[in-house]
Amino acid sequence: MRTMTKAFLSGSALLSAGLFMTSLPSAAMAQEATFALPAGELGATSYNPVTSSNLNSATSLIYDRLIEQDADQSFHPHLATSWQESPDGMTWEFKLHPGVKFHDGEPFNAETIAAWIPTFAGTENAFMVEAIDKVVVVDPLTIKFVMKRPEPNMLYNLASSFMGVPSPKSYKALGKDYGVTTAVGTGPFKLESFSIGLETVLVRNDDYAWDSDLSVNQGAAKIAKITFREIPDQSTAFLELKTGGVDVLLGVPTDFLSIIKSEKAATIITMPGTGINYMPINTSVAPFTDIKVRQATALAINQKAILDSVYAGVGQEAHNFLISSLPESQVKPGLDVSFDLAKANALLDEAGWKRADDGVRAKDGQPLKVKLFTQNDTEFKRLTQVVQAQLKDIGMDAEITVLDSSTIRDEYKKNNHQLAVRGYDWNNADILDWFFSGARLGYPNISMWKDAKSDELNKTAMTNSKTSAERIANFRTYHEYLLSQFLFVPIYQPATNIAFNPKTVSVPEKVRGPRFRSQTIMDMQVLQ
Amino acid sequence: MNALAQSGVGRAFTTPLGLFSGGYILILLVVALTAPWITPFDVTIQDLANSNAAPGWPHLMGTDEFGRDVLSRVMYGARTSLSVSATAIGFSMIVGMALGAAAGYFGGLFERAVMTVVDLTWSFPDILIALMLVAIIGPGLSSTMFAIAVAYLAQFTRLTRAQIVQLKRETFIEATINLGATPAHILSRHLLPNAVAPVIVVGMLAIGDGIILEATLGFFGLGAQPPTPSWGAMMSSGTAQLFLAPWVIIFPGLVVAVTVIAINLFGDALIRALDIRERLRGT
Amino acid sequence: MIIKYTLQRLLMLIPVSLSISVVIFLVVHLLPGDPIDNLMRVGSSPEDRLAMTVKYGLDRTLVEQYLLWIRSILSGDFGEAIVLRRPVSALIWQNLPYSLTLGALAFAFSSIVGMIAGTVSAVAKNPVVEQVVKAFILLGSTVPSFWLALLMILLFSVTLGWFPVSGAKTWTALVLPVLTIGFGGIALVARVTRVALVEIARQDFVTLLHAKGLSRSTILFRHLLPHAFLPVVTILALRIGWILGGAVTVEFVFGRPGLGSLLIRALGQRDYPVVQGCLLMLALAVMLGTLIGDVAQAALDPRVREATT
Repeated sequence: MRTMTKAFLSGSALLSAGLFMTSLPSAAMAQEATFALPAGELGATSYNPVTSSNLNSATSLIYDRLIEQDADQSFHPHLATSWQESPDGMTWEFKLHPGVKFHDGEPFNAETIAAWIPTFAGTENAFMVEAIDKVVVVDPLTIKFVMKRPEPNMLYNLASSFMGVPSPKSYKALGKDYGVTTAVGTGPFKLESFSIGLETVLVRNDDYAWDSDLSVNQGAAKIAKITFREIPDQSTAFLELKTGGVDVLLGVPTDFLSIIKSEKAATIITMPGTGINYMPINTSVAPFTDIKVRQATALAINQKAILDSVYAGVGQEAHNFLISSLPESQVKPGLDVSFDLAKANALLDEAGWKRADDGVRAKDGQPLKVKLFTQNDTEFKRLTQVVQAQLKDIGMDAEITVLDSSTIRDEYKKNNHQLAVRGYDWNNADILDWFFSGARLGYPNISMWKDAKSDELNKTAMTNSKTSAERIANFRTYHEYLLSQFLFVPIYQPATNIAFNPKTVSVPEKVRGPRFRSQTIMDMQVLQ
Repeated sequence: MNALAQSGVGRAFTTPLGLFSGGYILILLVVALTAPWITPFDVTIQDLANSNAAPGWPHLMGTDEFGRDVLSRVMYGARTSLSVSATAIGFSMIVGMALGAAAGYFGGLFERAVMTVVDLTWSFPDILIALMLVAIIGPGLSSTMFAIAVAYLAQFTRLTRAQIVQLKRETFIEATINLGATPAHILSRHLLPNAVAPVIVVGMLAIGDGIILEATLGFFGLGAQPPTPSWGAMMSSGTAQLFLAPWVIIFPGLVVAVTVIAINLFGDALIRALDIRERLRGT
Repeated sequence: MIIKYTLQRLLMLIPVSLSISVVIFLVVHLLPGDPIDNLMRVGSSPEDRLAMTVKYGLDRTLVEQYLLWIRSILSGDFGEAIVLRRPVSALIWQNLPYSLTLGALAFAFSSIVGMIAGTVSAVAKNPVVEQVVKAFILLGSTVPSFWLALLMILLFSVTLGWFPVSGAKTWTALVLPVLTIGFGGIALVARVTRVALVEIARQDFVTLLHAKGLSRSTILFRHLLPHAFLPVVTILALRIGWILGGAVTVEFVFGRPGLGSLLIRALGQRDYPVVQGCLLMLALAVMLGTLIGDVAQAALDPRVREATT
């Protein structure tokens, strides 16, 4: 009896193996994986990269970009195989990948680009192509941008997910519905279904053969079907991973790291993040009009202690405003902001703030009491409570107010703030312009920083840099000047944490690209 | 009337359940009132080296992510949660009674207008009302109180109005009206005193709902501002804690559940003792 | 007579909904912050911001904006969401089925369990039985729903593996959300049922039935319970707002779409047309619900008709 069962079993195993051999592609169709989108990517209502202001990771699989960026911020060819910038920065020429086809069968060529760039006009994303004056089709596989002004940031913009190239035919035919029911790109996956707020199902594009050099795989994806699920509650997402409902969590909040680490059913990949958590200082209101008080505040924050206690050692300390993979973050020694409690206290003494009996400093009868805003989010509430305790050590009594993101911006604009703990996610030095330009006081310029020299340096970096090298040098100078004024306190560089179920999927050891996106997913496999 | 209510309250303690629940509430009140002086540890000072310690000695309920004593924070949280809920419900009761009494007494278009608004707020989920209001006023304890007050206003208005409409039909009131007494006099001297007991009992039950609403607002990150402890804020201090250090959110959760049950049981005992079950109908 | 009453009430709805629309519009525009900041990405200029403000008509006076909104309602699409980039009506239609399924099933669950519990406690002569029922009823409404939801997931999904942790694609994924919400609603239904039964039991016809020698269970099931349905149905009508929009926390924990979640997301982003559209729709549903409840009552009880006409 036992042998019979055994024989029967091996027979059926043979049978299925036989099936597997004869029809390899269809057997591989069983390769399905479920991803949970990170909290910051929830709520997209469309896969239209041109008009959306909110795109999620699935977008990078539906569409390809002309250029890809790696984790070290270097640029790599994709739909554009090579490019040439004129020395004066006034023209850009791109050679396009031959033989590329959209999911709807349309060919991808220079005409595609010529039709696509103008569709940005009048949308929220128009600024990304604003410097392009004309798009010239040189030959079917060569395209030239004639510029209004040099744009050293061109490659960065082209690598953004908002610059995924849609099929001009479908884009035009569907109008307002484009991206909701149908989204057509040249990417390794096709959009099969999209239930807003719930899930997005993608199926493999079997024709795909134009991978970038960031993935080892140079053909169609190994996974046949990916479901991206939107799970707002982090503990629910964790439990889905634990019970096998989800194979990959695309973002693990730091407070879940230690619990997932102890979980057998999960492996964590930590990759450098693309942002900074910091504390802007409102330079326009007392006591922070005094640069000594600002410096003291900056020196009071113990980045190391925060990294260890709040973030369990995952991620990096931040000592200036830019992520460390950007060359502009390499500033002159001495300008980086680091914890120095003794100096902070000395500075406050010097500035006339004397300690009272209760430990809180005072000057002219006014206690050193400040408002400390933070956003409504578990991680930031934890971080802010530690910051509050550290400020207490220099005799500063900071009172926390938790606000939602819209209200907090309103408070900044009304200049009702003093200190705030917040974070940004951006891997380009132009973030300095965004947060410190004199033209954006209130929000985004939360530091309320307006200064002639600063705006001059800003202008040079933003518009007078002709080449990338020049741009880097100019932004570094601008960054150094901002640091010398103590407009903010750098705190922490978050890491991006991905958790996956090692029993169901395999993930390449080295994550390529600035984020966990198509380049890495191309090399992922579903384990049987 | 006062004496009657007092004797009623006294009588509520005579049943075992009434005694148990009432006793628990009394102890909780004492803890809440004296929390700043009797908590074994400071509720805000951080001790990061000692974070997420399991329950034991000296931290009977363990410590939280900042190494703060959970028991102390639960005790102090009673102060925050009870005062927020009780103040809000008290405010709601007063306004609700005034509106309900006026609506019930004057009737007509005024009554219809008040009741339309009230029915509308009653039919809207309390959490939506509260979230909207907190978004407008900004987070914090006072806006939480206001939100709770508005969310439960309808209940008191409806109840008071129903009482007044019923009382108005009684002969002694009709007689007073016929004698030419002013509406203010009739309302304040004859109608409201007779309507007040059921409203107070319902108000007491609503304090339990208020605590839960405060906790739910805390779940959405609104309500008490850190590091001030409140039960809601503690329960929602990152649900990651549920897996890592469950005591941080289990204990406040248990206290909320026990408290709400105690309030309900005692409310029941009160209803029996005051013999007002009849008058609570139709709410 | 009843038709006239219904028509009259329907006519009343027009001025009431208009005033409600004004209130909703003002409340939404009172919120600090605006939607434009949620659209602007790093790199866009202050001029771009201004252009967007104009594009979405936020530079116009409040009166103009209100009239434009009313026009979009009359045209049926409730306007175009600013941040969410879809017609508001499309967003509502997408979320409505999720809310309706969850709300209706949860209400059915609370009604059935609540009516049983209410009947038991009304009929029970034994105070112990009554207290046990009472404690059971109370359990559901003594813990915040996010708490209950998480514990249920831990027990039923993680430990026992009976239901999926989250999602909305399968029927099994509905069980835990329905239980979480339904559990919280039992107390209300049970209380109403109990009161209704106790009241009816006192009425003369019941005494008559007893006198006729009918058994207690026959009286209960054939004559009393049908009467208890009316108050429960009335609650259903009055609680339509809760059914449609009250599941925010549960939707959040179980990762379900729904009107409540849509509203809260839009509220956070200050997506005015969406918040306004959802609130107005909820308000209209609530008013219609109340009206149906009232008409039903009026149809059954002529005194109500007389009193209100």
